[in-house]
Amino acid sequence: MQRLGDFRLPPFFNYPPYFTLQPVRETREKQVQLWKDLILEYCRSQKIHTISLEEDFPLFSNPKIERSLSHEAKEVFLAALVSEGRAEWMDKGHKRCLILWLRIQDWANLIINFVKDNGLEVMTIEEIRSGIDTRGTELEGIERSVLMRALRQLEQKGKAAIFKGTSADDEGVKFSV
Amino acid sequence: MRRRPGIAGLQTAAATRDQFRLVGENVAKVRTDVMKEQLATFRSQLEEFARKHKSDIRKNPIFRQQFHEMCAKVGVDPLASNKGVWAELLGIGDFYYELGVQIVDICIATRSHNGGLIDLLDLRKLLAQKRKATVESLSEDDCLRAISKLKVLGSGFEVISVGRRKLVRSVPTELNKDHSGILGLAQAEGYVTVEQVEKEFSWSTGRAVDALETLLKEGLAMIDDGHRDGKRRYWFPCVTINSDTIGGEAK
Repeated sequence: MQRLGDFRLPPFFNYPPYFTLQPVRETREKQVQLWKDLILEYCRSQKIHTISLEEDFPLFSNPKIERSLSHEAKEVFLAALVSEGRAEWMDKGHKRCLILWLRIQDWANLIINFVKDNGLEVMTIEEIRSGIDTRGTELEGIERSVLMRALRQLEQKGKAAIFKGTSADDEGVKFSV
Repeated sequence: MRRRPGIAGLQTAAATRDQFRLVGENVAKVRTDVMKEQLATFRSQLEEFARKHKSDIRKNPIFRQQFHEMCAKVGVDPLASNKGVWAELLGIGDFYYELGVQIVDICIATRSHNGGLIDLLDLRKLLAQKRKATVESLSEDDCLRAISKLKVLGSGFEVISVGRRKLVRSVPTELNKDHSGILGLAQAEGYVTVEQVEKEFSWSTGRAVDALETLLKEGLAMIDDGHRDGKRRYWFPCVTINSDTIGGEAK
């Protein structure tokens, strides 16, 4: 099985036609499904939060079979993720895409469980993103905007309160679990 | 017998016919009785054989096939009914039934990739994986028998020969000669180009494109425009699917 780094690639990745947008509806649907799943799994395993269509993304080409996705194909697959709520366009020109390999809701749950399990009450935003406590967990390196949205959801449910610290960089959150 | 005119004549004719019929029935009865007895003897011998070699029949696909052929020669079908002597003796009915169900599962699972046509060897490999057995323990003959049972259910399953391969078809799509020809050609590299098809069969471009487009629409082919030579390739998943790498070496 081929690997990209330590990520195991699925068999369809080595089949040339999957790199060409298929014209027949049923075949296209199958193709889109496979690519959607692959993008989510890959981003999750590599903790990639955004994909830029103007930069090379290792998943979008396979040098072993000398095939790459066209710009149109990339847009189609990402748009499919967007319409499912698993991604969001970050700009009107559809050049950057935020990948929600976990939905905001899922992130919120993850955070609350993490906080409970570790008996934490107050943390700064930076601590959540890059502190010792979160090292090795899925929270490590979480995209700031995603984290804030998840925290705001928790705030709405009364499970957290975001507060500003002494400096602009010092935002924190108090959890009430 | 000379026919005599008049009512009496008619009555005689009728009586004569009756007599012939009686004799005929008797002869038939005697023949049937003898045959029944012969068959009964043979059946019990066959059952004895099956009992003795039950374990061989279950374990050894070649033996299994020979056993089937022996039964077929005398018009006995051990798979005819799931109940009854044979099924109980050998559990063979269950074996083929189970195999049939697994074949259906695999065909359905792979249909969106190969359009409903799968190479028999690939099917066997996937079956072996599913059953956690070796490919050798499940012969081609076993699969063909299980599939022929499926056919009886009217489920649209069929085995067709294309080129030097056997393909299992699980959808009602009919393949005409042009289509089969292209599939056969695709067995070399897993794909064909319009040019190759034209050249191989001496067809016009129109005819080649027509056939390829139909195969595409049926979900049996996929297009590939990514080769650096710029020529469109039509790939046939039913021809190259491999349980691990799909078209790994093909370019």
